[in-house]
Amino acid sequence: MTADLITQTKLLKASNNMRGDDMVSIKDYESSYKNHWCPGCGNFGILTAMKDAFVNLGIPPEQLLIISGIGQAAKTPHFLKCNMFHALHGRALPLATGAKMANHDLKILVNSGDGDCYGEGGNHFMHAIRRNVDLSLLVHNNKTYGLTKGQASPTSDFGMVTPLQPHGVISEPFNGLAVALSLGAGFVARGFSGNMEHLSRLIQEGMKHKGFSLIDIMQPCVSFNRVNTYDWYKKRVYDLFEENYDPDDFENAMNLARQWGEKIPIGIIYQKEKPTFIDRIEIFNQGPLISQKYDPGRLQALLSGA
Amino acid sequence: MGIDITIKIGGEAGQGIQTVGHLLALVCQDAGLYIMAINDFESRIRGGHSFFQIRICNKPVQAPHHKIHLLVALNQETYDLHREELDSDGLAVMDKKEKPAEENILMVPFGDLAMEAGGKLFSNTVAAGACCALLGTPFELCKTVLSQQFGGKGPDVLEKNFRAAELGYQAVKDVSFKWAFEWEPDTPKGSLIDGSKAIALGALAGDCRLAAFYPMSPATGIMAHLASFSDRFPLVVEQAEDEIAAVNMIIGAAFAGVRAMTSTSGGGFCLMTEGLGLAGITETPIVIVNAQRPGPATGLPTRTAQGDLLFVIRASQDEFPRFVFAPGTPDEAFKITARAFHLSEKYQVPSIILMDQYLADSIFIMEKQLTAPEYVERHIVQDDGIENPAEYKRFVITPTGVSPRALPCAGKALVVISSDEHREDGHISEAIDDRISMVDKRNAKVPYMIKEMNPPKEYHGESETLLVGWGSTEGAIKEAVDRLRAEGIDVGCLNFVDLWPFPHDNAKTALNKGKRFFMVEQNSTAQLGLLIKERIGFSFSEAILKYDGRPYYPNEIVESFKQYAR
Repeated sequence: MTADLITQTKLLKASNNMRGDDMVSIKDYESSYKNHWCPGCGNFGILTAMKDAFVNLGIPPEQLLIISGIGQAAKTPHFLKCNMFHALHGRALPLATGAKMANHDLKILVNSGDGDCYGEGGNHFMHAIRRNVDLSLLVHNNKTYGLTKGQASPTSDFGMVTPLQPHGVISEPFNGLAVALSLGAGFVARGFSGNMEHLSRLIQEGMKHKGFSLIDIMQPCVSFNRVNTYDWYKKRVYDLFEENYDPDDFENAMNLARQWGEKIPIGIIYQKEKPTFIDRIEIFNQGPLISQKYDPGRLQALLSGA
Repeated sequence: MGIDITIKIGGEAGQGIQTVGHLLALVCQDAGLYIMAINDFESRIRGGHSFFQIRICNKPVQAPHHKIHLLVALNQETYDLHREELDSDGLAVMDKKEKPAEENILMVPFGDLAMEAGGKLFSNTVAAGACCALLGTPFELCKTVLSQQFGGKGPDVLEKNFRAAELGYQAVKDVSFKWAFEWEPDTPKGSLIDGSKAIALGALAGDCRLAAFYPMSPATGIMAHLASFSDRFPLVVEQAEDEIAAVNMIIGAAFAGVRAMTSTSGGGFCLMTEGLGLAGITETPIVIVNAQRPGPATGLPTRTAQGDLLFVIRASQDEFPRFVFAPGTPDEAFKITARAFHLSEKYQVPSIILMDQYLADSIFIMEKQLTAPEYVERHIVQDDGIENPAEYKRFVITPTGVSPRALPCAGKALVVISSDEHREDGHISEAIDDRISMVDKRNAKVPYMIKEMNPPKEYHGESETLLVGWGSTEGAIKEAVDRLRAEGIDVGCLNFVDLWPFPHDNAKTALNKGKRFFMVEQNSTAQLGLLIKERIGFSFSEAILKYDGRPYYPNEIVESFKQYAR
């Protein structure tokens, strides 16, 4: 734990130094709203990495829109300064899709969890990928239901015992990365909340990517997941950036997405840009829907011919 | 002499029944006649039985007629199913290959004539030609309409349709048909429109920019019309993965600053109820059209009902205000849709438009010219309209309950919204004071919303005996009133369009004029009657209810009324 706090402080300092007093600084993102998470929660690392990424990308809070579902992860936008819509369980992605259609200049990030995104919102997850909506989805994957106190989630390992699954989880875990790849996602990455510098880099790359970007973040739940702890992850993760892995090969990516157990890769697993949802609809060439003009003459012509 | 003729064209799905019907409707429109037509079909693509029933009048008409004067049976089943509905002087027209059973049948070799014209495909045009001949329509009028309909499909298709219509026309032109009439040249009385198109046009007049939907009968027609307009307007029509996604998309779009809608039917509305609550607590303006069909569950997918009234006024987790409207005619559907967008945004609440399969799929002559609003008033604030943008609070308490609404990323003001109960600044709060003040704030809008509600529409509202209905049954009820009055029975009617928040005072004023109330509704429990009783204490004497999935015929109301009133 102490080590993580030190990293966190280091990162904060680094970001501030990098920007100095021009443009955006970490301070701009500080919120006075009291945090709700358990001490030691993996979400803190994700929050720090997010702020660091925003600062490095030079996005001020008033130009950022965070949309989230329900769960501990989905509370994230309350704990920093930004425009935000903390929506319904599982429904962040269609809501974000609607917001993007209304104003495609919006810079949208979605905070979701494994239950929110892969369980309740599984259908929306699949279809947001198909649409290739230009937004970044962070799935805080702690392999358990935190907010409702420790039930199994879609990503819980087979056999994991919980008070509600006393005989162990009897379903195979949901592999969000592999599903995303199979649906043609153009940016698929895995991060670890215990490596904030690395995670910040992933978020920056994800937000720079034109199209849908998925960052599945392995995150310990200190209250309810006794299996997948900080130490458990630290023994297993290896960094794809360090390996000079080239994320443009689909077959390699699929293999990495499925790699789990003794070694777990973190980094950009697959990246390929293609036309986004907005690129595919002609009307958006004339500017965001919100900026286009209501034209009574054109409507009257249609009504008169009706 | 009055013209009032009903023609039913029936056959299997896929035989082009609607094409015949539309051709007849266009011919009548061109000749300055009034029509109204119902579409009756099963939930299947091929086979089964379906029909198109068109009523032709020389005065305005808003309801179907129960007796048929001309039955065009494209198969034997149509004749067997509908022979009882034939007027005593009516005539059935059938292909000669079908077995004749009665005297009032005219055999026309649709199939053979179609082959002669260019293929079996043209049977329906042959039938249309025959209908026109029987009615005494000048053939030139048929040609004009055929040119309008098929002109864009190339000279070959048009020529073959001309030929098919002419062969059908010639085959029966010497047959004397009792209901034939003089076709005097006249100009069209209005445009042909169905309820779905009226709502789609109303959405444009409400400056709708995003329409998200999941296909569901009978609501999909609205989206089909909107999709056909979308290239010419700043409008995106997106088919969502389910109704849940559809409603959340439009909430996202409305939050980001454009007007947005969805359309569905009862089952889909159930899925949207979660999102409706989200619009409620986040005070996001959206418009949902519920085109009702009989339920529960799948029910009768392609048929009509008014069974969702009590559901949609209360559908929610906990309580929050919303508007509910039920238009009675296409031009009203147009106006109400635009108004729903406006009121939703003004009060930051969801609006629900209750339609049904009858209004969605029936075709009317609409005399009123629809007008586009000169400008669209947006109820949105920007930084320059906020005292201190850095301290902007999305849910600040105001006397009307309506807080100035800023848009995300539009300035210094940060827009913070949560589906959790929240403070004025939008952040989650479980504090007792915040909870109470937010519930009270949302409810504070209701008295202002009620002031926006129009009274029920009166027709001979001075009568002591009133038929009371809502939404699309208006036409049938008014015609029933006319017929009863023609028989010397003093009766009037009230038709509710603005349903929720319930217009207490207006409803009381209208109902106070009467002594006996007969509810006329397409559900099995008289839902509006129950609502009136609950809200203002008036009890109805009898309920004339129809829940077989078919639209009201005015005579059914007349007969039931006489039976009850006796």
